[in-house]
Amino acid sequence: MNFPWFRRFGIFFIPATIAGWIILLAGIVFAIYSFMDIDGRSHSVSDTMINFVFMLLIIGAVYSLIAYLTSRGTNHHNANQ
Amino acid sequence: MEEQNFEKKLTEMTKPEITHLKHEDLLAAAIINAKDKSVVSFWWLSVPVFIILMLMMKSLYMPGSTLISNIHDLAIRQKYISLVFFLVAPIVLIIFNVFSIRKVYFLSGSPKSINFLEIVWSSVLIIVLSILVLIIYSL
Repeated sequence: MNFPWFRRFGIFFIPATIAGWIILLAGIVFAIYSFMDIDGRSHSVSDTMINFVFMLLIIGAVYSLIAYLTSRGTNHHNANQ
Repeated sequence: MEEQNFEKKLTEMTKPEITHLKHEDLLAAAIINAKDKSVVSFWWLSVPVFIILMLMMKSLYMPGSTLISNIHDLAIRQKYISLVFFLVAPIVLIIFNVFSIRKVYFLSGSPKSINFLEIVWSSVLIIVLSILVLIIYSL
């Protein structure tokens, strides 16, 4: 079963379909929400940034895993072109 | 006349050429898959590497604390997170990348040249970094 939802450019997976864009948008919305949440609880700018970058890396890791799993079927198709 | 035509046909005849090899497709797909896997691995490995860098900074600015003591502290306070990012993730990444390299190696005809390393350098780097994370965590 093919899921060509994303295409890889370097170390980033770029959405190729609407479903892909929805996943990316959900990731961005969650990143903004977590930034506001962390900023509300932290005591300094560095405290906010360190915790937010950590959260951003986790979001990026989960997003890249979803993108990899939903674009696996395209590998062989790309190779044939 | 017929004999001449036959000779002409013979000279025009060539070996059947296969312009598109199935093996090339398999190798290309394996290389693309290995690169995709190394990108996902990079994202998953960036989390423990970031934590290690932050703990290194902490050990620099806080007198009396070291990287190892900070990691032990983290392992006690955040038992499951540290277990996932410092033990499970690196081991899984090592296994995935070793299998990717193995597949590309066999499909490319078991080459003994440095060119092979140029193709799979990202997977090799991920394996080395994962081993480093495992070593730091186990100290």
